[in-house]
Order: sequence, then structure tokens, then C-alpha cells
Amino acid sequence: MSKKLWTMLVLLIAPMLVLGACTGNDDSSGPADLTKFPLVVDNEGEAIEGGTLKVALGTDTPFQGIFSWVLYEDSYDADIMGYASNVIFETDGEFLVNDQGIASLEVDQANNKAIVKIREGIKWSDGQALKIEDLIQPYLIIGHPDYEGVRYDGDFQNIIGAVDYHNGKADTISGLKKVDDTTLEISFTKLSPAIFSIGDGLWGYAEPSHIMKGIPVGKLLESDAVRKNPVTLGAFKFDKIVPGESIQFARNEHYWKGAAKLDGVIVKVVPTSSIAKAIETGKYDMTAGSLPATTYPEVRDFENITILAQPELSYSYLGFKLGKYDTTTGISTMDPQAKMADVKLRQAMGYALDIEQVNEVYYYGLRSRANSLIPPVFESYYDETLEGYTYNVDKANEILDEAGYVDTDGDDLRETPKGEKLEIKMASMAGDPIAEEMTTFYMQNWADVGLNVVLSTGRLIEFNSYYDKVQSDDPEIDIFMAAWSTGTNPSPAGLYGKESAFNFSRYTTPKLDELIAAIDSKKAFDIDYRANAFHEWQLYMEKNAPVIPTQFRTAIYTINDRVKHYDVNLETDFDLNQIELTAEEPIK
Amino acid sequence: MIPQLLILSLLIFIMAKQMPGDPFTGLITPESDANRIEELREEAGFYDPWYVQYANWIIGVAQGDFGKSYTYKVPVADLIGERAMNTLWLSLLSVVLLYLIAIPLGVLAGRYQDTLVDKSIVLYSFVSYAIPTFVLGLIFLFLFGYQLGWFPTAGTVDIKYEESTKAYIWSKIYHMLLPAITYAVLGTTGVIQYLRSEIIDSKSMDYVRTARSKGIPIRKVYSKHIFRNSLLPIAAFFGFTITGLLGGSIFIESIFGYPGMGQLFMQSISSRDYSVITALVLLFGFLTLLGSLLSDIIMSIVDPRIRID
Repeated sequence: MSKKLWTMLVLLIAPMLVLGACTGNDDSSGPADLTKFPLVVDNEGEAIEGGTLKVALGTDTPFQGIFSWVLYEDSYDADIMGYASNVIFETDGEFLVNDQGIASLEVDQANNKAIVKIREGIKWSDGQALKIEDLIQPYLIIGHPDYEGVRYDGDFQNIIGAVDYHNGKADTISGLKKVDDTTLEISFTKLSPAIFSIGDGLWGYAEPSHIMKGIPVGKLLESDAVRKNPVTLGAFKFDKIVPGESIQFARNEHYWKGAAKLDGVIVKVVPTSSIAKAIETGKYDMTAGSLPATTYPEVRDFENITILAQPELSYSYLGFKLGKYDTTTGISTMDPQAKMADVKLRQAMGYALDIEQVNEVYYYGLRSRANSLIPPVFESYYDETLEGYTYNVDKANEILDEAGYVDTDGDDLRETPKGEKLEIKMASMAGDPIAEEMTTFYMQNWADVGLNVVLSTGRLIEFNSYYDKVQSDDPEIDIFMAAWSTGTNPSPAGLYGKESAFNFSRYTTPKLDELIAAIDSKKAFDIDYRANAFHEWQLYMEKNAPVIPTQFRTAIYTINDRVKHYDVNLETDFDLNQIELTAEEPIK
Repeated sequence: MIPQLLILSLLIFIMAKQMPGDPFTGLITPESDANRIEELREEAGFYDPWYVQYANWIIGVAQGDFGKSYTYKVPVADLIGERAMNTLWLSLLSVVLLYLIAIPLGVLAGRYQDTLVDKSIVLYSFVSYAIPTFVLGLIFLFLFGYQLGWFPTAGTVDIKYEESTKAYIWSKIYHMLLPAITYAVLGTTGVIQYLRSEIIDSKSMDYVRTARSKGIPIRKVYSKHIFRNSLLPIAAFFGFTITGLLGGSIFIESIFGYPGMGQLFMQSISSRDYSVITALVLLFGFLTLLGSLLSDIIMSIVDPRIRID
């Protein structure tokens, strides 16, 4: 090879080496030890006076900038609003309202009423006192005929008079009554235990009526009160906004728990491709919201941070298409001829999956095998005794043999009990950087027990069409992998009921509806009864396997060493006004 | 131009609606109500026949109303206006830097053909052509932004400055520099190659020989005679370059967290923000047509042999 060519090659390879170096640090692979992650961090050092906390918002698109709890849609806006929140209730470790917040909640079960009482002397960041009208204001916005958001929903219509107000038949919502200057009484059509996790139509935030009253609901989205200078009840107030890019918060002197020790907070958009580098070089103290699990290997060796972890309110699952949802009647019906109708086949598919290895190799232990459709955070509802479908090839083979799925034509793939070829079509969503590898691995798992699983459409499906296909019961889909975030109220009514459009497996039986109804029934106001109802439902779902839970998730947070104390524990009363810094700039 | 735009608008409108999903697909959570989402779809008119939807939209467009963005909830014209300004300034700086790098290099390569200088320049232009934008973008960002700390790493401006002060404007330019340099370094190939081969061709032309034999110094021959003629092919594309300033670069904008048109286009497609998609495609189509018109006009100015009849 001539000398010239060599020079060319060296020049071409050099950038590749640089690139390789960027993804280094892979030598210490292996799963993370979950017990290693604390919920709390305490850093040494004398706290400085004031200081500005720097927060990175990891996203590749500008934030939308709708800073109102009744109007926002994008979770990044919610992450930002977390620093200047208008939340009025505080909740305990299981997300049930307690009396530590601005408002307390009393429920009158007999009369289907909720009584909300606010503390006296609470002020908005502009110095105005918090009034009962401020609690009523968000209801008047959501119910208004001109309101274009998603929150005018079935739950909201549970408030007496909400529908009349929405249809323009009434000027106000008759179910909302101001009793005195600190008490609001709300009447509902029916009540369930969900009211304690701020469900059933109860609204958890206040809106400044002295400002919002003057703005027509149809114009709210464009108003400065939402876009430029929202007034808040939180530890910080909006000081300056560069649309789509960054927000500067200043300390709210009127914060009811006492003014924050920090001077302010700056939140700035950082592209996901460089977020790890930004953390390493000390550009930021922390991220708004958690880091994706796939970023973990990049950040785990950084010496200027502590990684905190917190269980997520979500689960991944494997779903089986067992029927159809009729959009006109709004009811799911099962199809006994469905390819996956045999419960044995479904169970075997669950046992055949080596989720444990996926969690270890791809998620570094930040995900764990799920045994239930209720995340363990909900301690009283979660049933830890459930066995779930752990990896067991022998059992999978045994079940399939018993059920009559045997290989009759010698191609190492099982045929149906009727002797027909069995081809299972799986829908898998594109997007996650490791989605492709994982899907291939699962398909191999199933091939190992003789099941022929192929991809619907032949490849991974883009987000929008994935949900389109899954929701419309596309015949090209027999099984699908997806995830649900449960929110703070894990009631399965919206996800697994006969009339629920999101019951994607379309599995429905009278028994199941009965079990779900019990969870949200009047009797379930008794916590033991509700816990028991949850347990029975989990067991039923495990036995019948219309969906098989696969993973519970852990969220990670990186905290720079100059933050004196930070806490992601849901049960403690850590608040943003307590944050202190020990240096002028984040530590590199 | 009007019929072309009409056909384009019809095509893009139908194709946008053919995509699976709609702006409300992303709102599905266990807490959202499927009925409410259906209601919103109905209110937005997604169940009307396509020609009704198209007619409503095109009548609005004719009156200058492009509708409202489903994602950002602001009028499309405002949204595009905001992003277009960012992109325009960034592209302008990029193009200026690009010509500052490419023209001297192209001239040098052509003039000193087959010397070491020429070979290195050609090598540079091929290497820069081969490196994907996101690779060099990331390398520059990590090296000059994070490791050395010479440049800001994201956004268009530092939040601490008051609007329209000197410091604010400087901060804007400072934020543009690194992305613009990346763009300029990568985009030089075409200009260098055109200039180089034109100059090499011109060297043996009769008018150059005449000039040389008249005793005009070689420097002057290059700067007066050859250079101007060699710019012709570049001028031919200049109209497109000007209108292309608004297109933006998806890669550069995503890597440097710079909210511009490329990013907006990409995001509007993935979130099915129909009103933004259609408005942007229409705008890009209009700019392309305008670009070819501009190029013709520019050519007729710089090259008197070409005249529009």
C-alpha cells in the first residue's frame, strides 16, 4: 500500500477513535446494585448565602411553555412548573391526601361531598391572599365551553352541575359551594376511594382568580398570565422566560413554608445527546425529572455527583389481543377464536421470556421483573406474594406440550393443537435505542420453546402508528409490548374495564368487572377491604394472563456535589425551600 | 408559481392526513379519558371529509391564516416567525463563514494545482464531505463547548441579559458561533470543487493567455479575470442559497439545542402537528420556487450573455 493511502486512512480513522473514546467507560459493566442507590444525599461543606441552582431539562425539542396546571399537556412543562407549583394538597408515601398541605380534605361519604379547608394567611407570589375563589377558578376554566384541553373528562363530569355549565345551561357549577372564607364544599354524583388520591373530579391546584377572572377562557393559552408571568404558590416564582429554551426563577418571598434559601433556579433545555457530558463537566446541579435508564452507564463513574434512585409509578407488560372494541357501543367483546385465546399458550409465553437477563444486560438492574400489575410503591395494594411469570423454559415447554402445542412437521416449531402452523405476530414500538435488540432477544426466547413469533409489519413500528394499530385492534397484531404509567391512583378501572377504550387486550369477563368494581366501591373506603380487592384482582389477572407484567422501573437522578441536601423519598417532607449550595458553581 | 403551490398544498395536505395517528395520539395516558379525546378530535374537524377539511384550510391560508399549532397552541404564523428569525441569523452567519473559508481555499487549490497545498485542500474537502453532520457536531460540542468551555453549549441566548442590550446581542452571536462554524466547515466541498475546476479550466482559456501576453501581472490576472468568471457556477446557486437560509438544519439544531426551523419541522411531523407541517412545506416549496427565480435573475446580472426574454 502506498504511503499516500496510509495517510488517508489515518485521517479517516482518527475521528472514529475520538468517537470511540466518547462512549468509553464500558469496562466496568455489570448490573447496578439497587441497594447502592440512596434516596437522600448529604454533601459536606459550609452552605453559601443564596446561590442559583442550575437544572438541565433533557429534551431534543423546545418546551411548549404552557405554565398552567389546567392547560399544559407536555410533561416537560410540568417538570418546570414543579419549581413554582400551585399544588394545594400534600400526600403521603402512598399518594393519599394528608393534612400537611395548604388545604386539607374531609370526605362526607353519606352525602357524596368533599370539604376542602385552606390555611389562613397563605399568599400568592404577587402578595395577594389565597381565597376560596382561587380554588373554584380551575373548575370554572376546565368546565368552560371554550376549554380545549383533555381535563374535561368523565371524572370531571362527576361534579354536580359540571355538564350543565359546560353546555352553557348554567353560569357556574352548582356543585361548588363557598361555605366561608376558608371552606369549599364540592358535591359529586358518586364517590370512590379515589377521592383520597385526588381523583373522582377533585382538582389539586389553585388558580389566581384575581388574574384569571379577567381573561376569557378561549384566550388563556395566549395570555401572559400563562406564558410570561404566571403567579404561583410555590417556593419560587417565574422571573424570566426565554421561550422554548430557559427559565429563570426567583425566590418567592411569600412562600407559606418560608422563603427559599436559594436566590433562584435556572432551568435550561439540554439536548439528550449531550446531557451526560453536561453533568460531568459541572454545567448543571441536577436534571428536571429523572434520567433515562439507558444513560446510566454514561454517568455512573462521574465523581462530581451522587446518583439517587426512586421507584417509578409504572410497569411494562406483554399484552395479548383477545377480542375487539366496538367504538360505537364502547364495549369490548372477546373473540373465542383469537389466536392467543388459549390461556396456556399465554402463560407459556410469559415463562419463556428471559426478562431477568434483559434487565441485567440492557438496564443495568434499573428494571426488575414485575410480578404484578401494581407497582410495589403502593405498599398496601401491591401483592408481594404473587409469583409472577419468572424465566422457566422447562415449565414453558411442559405447559405447551400439555396444551397440545406440539411440533408435528419436524421444523422445530410448534403447531396448534389442530395441527395448523402457528405464527404469532408481535407489535413492538420503535424509539428506545435498544428496542430492536430487545425485541430480537425476546423473539429468540420464544423460538427456544418452539414458538414462531414474527414482527407485525416486519419491523419496529413508529410511536403514532403503533398506538393507532394497537388501539384499532389491527388484525396484524396478536401480541404487543407496552407500558403504563399508573399515576397516583392505581385503580385498574380505566385500563382493564369492559368499557375502557384503553383495555388494549380486550379481555373482559363478568368476574373481572366485578373485581374492578369492588376496588372503587363504597365499601372500599375501608382500607383493608380495598387492599383485599386489589389483591384479588392481581391474582385473577395473573391466573388468566390477558396481559403479563414484565418490568418495574427505577428512576435515577444525578445530584451535583455542591447541593448540600437533597431527597427523592416520597414520604419525607423535604421541600425546595430547604435546598442549599456549598459552592458558587457546580463542581466539575 | 401559483398553480405549482396549489398542487403542492393539495398533495401535502392529503399526505399529512394519511399518516397514522393525529395530534391527540400523544395524549393517551391511563388518566386521560378516551371519550374526551374523541370529542376533541371531532371539534378539530378530523372526521369531516378530506375535501371539506382542505377547503377550510386553503380558504384560511388565502386569508393569511395558517391555523393554530396543535402542539404549541399558538398561531402557526407566530410560531414559524419566532423560529424563522433564529434560523435566519444562524444560517446567515454560517453562509458568511462558509464563503470565507471556501473561496480562498478554492482559489488557492485552483491556482496552485497539483502542489501540496492543492492536495491538502482537496483532501480536506473530501473528508469534510464524508463526515456526517452529527458526528462533527458532537465532537465540536464536546471539545470546544464542554471540555474547553470556549462556547455556550445550548440555546440561543443567555437568560441573564436584558433584551436588546449590547450584551444580549453579543450573547446571541456567541451562541450561534459554534453551530455556524460546524455548518461552515462541513458545507465547503461544493464551493471549493466548483471554484477549483473553473479556475483550472480558465487558466488555459484564450482571454487569460491574451491578458498574460499583454503583460498583466499574474496576480491581477487571477483576481480580475479568472476569479470573476470562476464565480459563475456559484452565482448560479446563490438564489437557492439565499432562500435556503430559512430551511435550517435538523442535525445542527438538535445537537446544539438551537430552536429553529429544522427542529420545528421534524417535531411537527412526529407529533402530527398538521397545521405546522402543511404551513412549513408550503413555505419551503415557495422558497424553492423563489430561489430558482432569484438564481435566474442573478445569473442575468453577472453573466451578460444570459438574458431573460
